[in-house]
Amino acid sequence: MKLALEHFNRPWLPISGLIIFMICFAAYTYWTFKKENKGVYDHASMIPLEEEKNERR
Amino acid sequence: MNSDGTTRGGKLEKFSYDDQIVRWFIIATLIWGAVAMLLGITIAFQLADWHVNMNLQWITFGRLRPLHTNAAIFAFCGNAIFAGVYYSHQRLLKARLFNDLLSRIHFWGWQLIIVSAALTLPFGLTAGKEYAELEWPIDIAITVIWVIFAVNFFGTIIRRRERHIYVAIWFYIATIITVAVLHIVNSMEVPVSIFKSYSMYAGVQDALVQWWYGHNAVAFFLTTPFLGLMYYFVPKAANRPVYSYRLSIIHFWSLVFIYIWAGPHHLLYTTLPEWAQTLGMVFSISLWAPSWGGMINGLLTMRGVWDKVRTDPVLKFMALALTFYGMATFEGPLLSIKSVNAIAHFTDWIPGHVHAGTIGWNYLLIAGILYYMVPKLWNAKIYSVRLANIQFWTATIGLVLYVVSMWVAGITQSLMWRAIDSTGKLVYPNFIETVVKIVPMYWVRAIGGTLVFISFLIMFYNLYKTAKSGSIEAEPVLEAYALNSSSEEPNAAAHRKLEGWPMIFAVLSLIAILVGSGIELIPAMLSQKYIVKMSVVKPYTPLELMGRDLYVREGCYLCHSQTVRPMTHEVLRYGKASEAAEFVYDHPFQWGSKRTGPDLARVGGKYPNKWHFRHMWDPREVTAGSIMPRYMWLFDQKIDYDILKKKMSVMQTLGVPYTNAEVEGSVDAAKKQAEGIRDNLMESGVSKEVVNKEIVALIAYLQRIGVDYGKSEVSQ
Repeated sequence: MKLALEHFNRPWLPISGLIIFMICFAAYTYWTFKKENKGVYDHASMIPLEEEKNERR
Repeated sequence: MNSDGTTRGGKLEKFSYDDQIVRWFIIATLIWGAVAMLLGITIAFQLADWHVNMNLQWITFGRLRPLHTNAAIFAFCGNAIFAGVYYSHQRLLKARLFNDLLSRIHFWGWQLIIVSAALTLPFGLTAGKEYAELEWPIDIAITVIWVIFAVNFFGTIIRRRERHIYVAIWFYIATIITVAVLHIVNSMEVPVSIFKSYSMYAGVQDALVQWWYGHNAVAFFLTTPFLGLMYYFVPKAANRPVYSYRLSIIHFWSLVFIYIWAGPHHLLYTTLPEWAQTLGMVFSISLWAPSWGGMINGLLTMRGVWDKVRTDPVLKFMALALTFYGMATFEGPLLSIKSVNAIAHFTDWIPGHVHAGTIGWNYLLIAGILYYMVPKLWNAKIYSVRLANIQFWTATIGLVLYVVSMWVAGITQSLMWRAIDSTGKLVYPNFIETVVKIVPMYWVRAIGGTLVFISFLIMFYNLYKTAKSGSIEAEPVLEAYALNSSSEEPNAAAHRKLEGWPMIFAVLSLIAILVGSGIELIPAMLSQKYIVKMSVVKPYTPLELMGRDLYVREGCYLCHSQTVRPMTHEVLRYGKASEAAEFVYDHPFQWGSKRTGPDLARVGGKYPNKWHFRHMWDPREVTAGSIMPRYMWLFDQKIDYDILKKKMSVMQTLGVPYTNAEVEGSVDAAKKQAEGIRDNLMESGVSKEVVNKEIVALIAYLQRIGVDYGKSEVSQ
């Protein structure tokens, strides 16, 4: 490993970082925009607005 | 009640919020904000007129500038972050902060760190790395307090009564994790004494680590926590949910993953390996998408309440802050494109860009948040909406003056630096010509900064009167159901489940930032390729080392770079383009990021000793029109030889090839070299008493910079 790094001129490393990002990006975009999740995210977005009217007694 | 609207069973618990700690952090925000801006306008006037340095070493530009940046980032923005995070965190999780004592240790510990910075930086006690100047004992204190903050923060999450971790908290988690990583890695240094240390990294490595840290200090201290605050306070102020919660998820993961790669754009055209520069540029451009995604999400949250933006100070400041965020995050990637960077880097365009972000985004968002929180926490109405409006316009006009003057100054500098006539010679060979030309813009900047400061004082007064007109009531008792299995969602999607597992979420955030950090830093840290030594490049002599420490102490790197880019006009003006091997003994590197004065990478041997002697006494004696301060104390203060052996020994530990004999004989060697410089100066009428004064050590260093390679026969 150290030897490889000592002569680092391998573009595959940053490219693999980019690929990891693209895969993760595709995955969380897919999950986020799945139709069946819309309801829960709509409710989640209401959390800041709920706190006082529901909790204060 | 759950976030999905269902009522669940379980124990109904009583609790209250710790708002007192939020009030403390708000007061600290206001005090340190005023201090930071006062320091800012002081150094702005020092650049416009050198007399404002007042010939006092403790308040020269080189010492106050780090104090200004530290005060603005860590004191002003830091306290605002803690106030906003502690306020929103409790409410989003329906839980009191984990531990009141930890909250108080956090508060007082952070204030102590700020005071320590204020007591050390003016005395020249600095590590010499931008935005990371604080010396090692303070670095350790920062780590301890940050861990306390993290324990308090995650402990609150564990005791929460809301299953879902709202998007604002994701941004807070990413901030806490990443700042810890950045601070620890960049602060690796070996102490020489209680107030002095040397960076473990040298030259190119140090530069890469430093700007990986420096850029991500902007990303994870001035951006992600404020985006988290934006995702909480903008919906609250608008009384509407965020425009797109789904977009916020995409925004979060994309921003966290991409931002960490962008650091090398601060080192374009330097001796950093080309692949790392390109990587930094590509990811910086990629940042356009998530940055604007967040900005659009924030602005569109105000849809339907634009009429309130006109009248409500809270929304007004937030709308403008988001607009400036959009502009600054458009300009940032633009400046990262190599061809644009070639023009803008080292010029005043960069401070213009930085202040569009820190004033336009951070200060204005903080103003909006404070106008939201203070009336609620002190049970009062805003004292004067009219004053808030005056503040708004004063700040806006001041900021526009600041930014536009710096654009004009930056482009003017750049065009003058690179102007070459038909015979292939520089049109403006004397650097001072390019300085004198932009001094009027420094005045405009100083006036703009003063307006911003005045706007802050208006807010200070307005919020003070608001708090004074209200009262602090006993903490109200709230009720919420404890989390239990009835709040779990077994059929939820993966990311939805993840949002309920904060620790796994934190680990994934850590992985996201480690991917980019590892790919950029590990090859540079381990690879011998980047620290190949040239036989002509030798370590500094003991006296030169002492002189270098004075160079760091006085903050010379804040106005002078030490790296010649491989561009025709730079080679014509300064000499050979820099090579990585020249900096292998530089702990820390001193490349700088701004050329208020000329680059010094090839200054060694360019002028006689007497020129430097006169220049440091009064720069205008040798350079008419110079705006550099006088450094008269260097002619009175004696060289501290007592610490020299320890310094040499630490350098030896760091890999600088000093022999034991050289370490042992360092004081004698330094004195001998000082006598040589003294003898030379005496030929031009200087008194022999100069031999043990700091000016001699500084001259020794200046005469050495860039000589080994720059004056050698070794070709490029």
